[in-house]
Amino acid sequence: MTATSAISVQGLTKDFRVGLRGLKLRAVDNLTLEIPRGQVFGLLGPNGCGKSTTLKIVLGLVPATTGTISILGSPSATAEARKRTGFLPEAPYFHKFLTGRELVEYCARLSGVPADKVTAAVEASLELAAMTEAANRPIGTYSKGMLQRIGLAQAIVHDPELVILDEPTAGVDPVGSAAIGRMIHAMRAKGKTIVLCSHLLGQVEQVCDRVAIMDRGRLVLEGRVDEVLAQRDRHVITVEALSPAARAAAEAALAAHGATVSSITHPRRSLEDLFRELVTGSRDA
Amino acid sequence: MPDMNARLTRSSWIARITFLEAIRQRFFAFLLVLSAAMVVSSVSFRFMDFGHSELKFVADFAFGGMFLFGSVLALVMTAQLFFAEIDNRTALTLLAKPLSRTEFLLGKFLGTWAVLGVFVFSLAFLQGVILWSRTQELIVLAAETGRVAPDFSVSGLAAFAVLQWFRLGVVAAMVLMVSAVARTFLFAVIVGAMAIVAGQLQWLAQEALLKPSDANALTKGLLWLSSRVIPNLQQFNIGDTLVLDPTAISGDAVWSVVLSGFFYLVAFLALASLAFRRREI
Repeated sequence: MTATSAISVQGLTKDFRVGLRGLKLRAVDNLTLEIPRGQVFGLLGPNGCGKSTTLKIVLGLVPATTGTISILGSPSATAEARKRTGFLPEAPYFHKFLTGRELVEYCARLSGVPADKVTAAVEASLELAAMTEAANRPIGTYSKGMLQRIGLAQAIVHDPELVILDEPTAGVDPVGSAAIGRMIHAMRAKGKTIVLCSHLLGQVEQVCDRVAIMDRGRLVLEGRVDEVLAQRDRHVITVEALSPAARAAAEAALAAHGATVSSITHPRRSLEDLFRELVTGSRDA
Repeated sequence: MPDMNARLTRSSWIARITFLEAIRQRFFAFLLVLSAAMVVSSVSFRFMDFGHSELKFVADFAFGGMFLFGSVLALVMTAQLFFAEIDNRTALTLLAKPLSRTEFLLGKFLGTWAVLGVFVFSLAFLQGVILWSRTQELIVLAAETGRVAPDFSVSGLAAFAVLQWFRLGVVAAMVLMVSAVARTFLFAVIVGAMAIVAGQLQWLAQEALLKPSDANALTKGLLWLSSRVIPNLQQFNIGDTLVLDPTAISGDAVWSVVLSGFFYLVAFLALASLAFRRREI
């Protein structure tokens, strides 16, 4: 474990016993991972690859078969470690009879926010999650996007150093998804460490500093996003007002230096960018 | 000490939300109304007094309703409130906070026990009104016929309500212990119901132990174990004595029942906490 690690996982293995004969199912296989502080870390992988199990073990919700985990220097699974951690589970479900504000206050009390600071902490987290306007409505009336945002508010109400988000944009439309992306940026700007588990690779690419990819319980890749995505033997040059003659001359010049032009295309904006541009007026609040 | 305060604060918040959730349930309202109807209708069935005094029949009829529906409520509601947190995955959010599993379980128990308190004390109040009203009528009748006027003890009724609240607390703690290890709601309810029946019949084990017999050591050992491990739920059913003949029972005897209930309640909660500690959420 390094002093700068937000989460340190050493040789983590998790076996589940299934069926009457107790057959062993290995969900996580000898995983070693260091998540540095102050960064947005993406944990990726197909369904059933062990991401959520890893997060649950990190939070002490599921015991590990073997291996050691620490959160911000404290042994995982202790209340002390969880004091500095916020968690938004996948597809969160909350008591429907509570209002958003009551839920966040409830979580603030459970997270040990001092009584005289609860109101300010609740208002700050509701504001960051853009839920102030809907805070007095019962949770049963919330849309999926609002549920995710109130879930985010309850996760950060005690101002944790580490925030773990499991599929925070699952089922959320692109506008809501972009809003959650902005919240993640805002939290990073405050120096928080964010661990993001998501299937939306485009969003992960946009918000994460580092990524790890798991498959069948094993770590298959880990590194900085720009490093793991860069194709070092290829280059992109974006040119405006390129005439056919200039293009031919450029190709000839590159060929003279031994370079091969693989393709020349028009740059595209993403469908998500186009969607957001067209529907910026419609919020699900 | 500040740590203990923080623990109690967290448990009290879990209890508060559990109470709010439970009090909204239709099942609770249904059983409360059903039990209240039984208490109120007890006067109408007084002709079936089997030779006992009228007030005794009225009291026993209402106590029976409180006992039966209270047991069903404690059994189903405790298991339901626990499994709702697990199945709806709200426990995932809560236990990811700096909240120990013991604090979580204690909060669930206290919230459930508070609802059971609302159930028991509301019915006891209603029963007090019914008994008082019937007593007034019987006093007039007694004056006309020259017989001794009947009476009932309000403090005895209050003591009985407290005893019933403890009895339901023991049942709730027992069901919580079963729920902590059970995988499904149905399993918890079935095993919990069996435990309640065992508790009702526990006195048989105690009596068998007291009688001289030629049973082998294994049988005697099992009887001894049953009489110690299973709480005697019958010991709480002293309502008619407390309400109609309070001088027949000493305060020490009532306190010993309360202490026994408290002991089992704490023991079951401790076992529930141990079982829940390594459960995968």
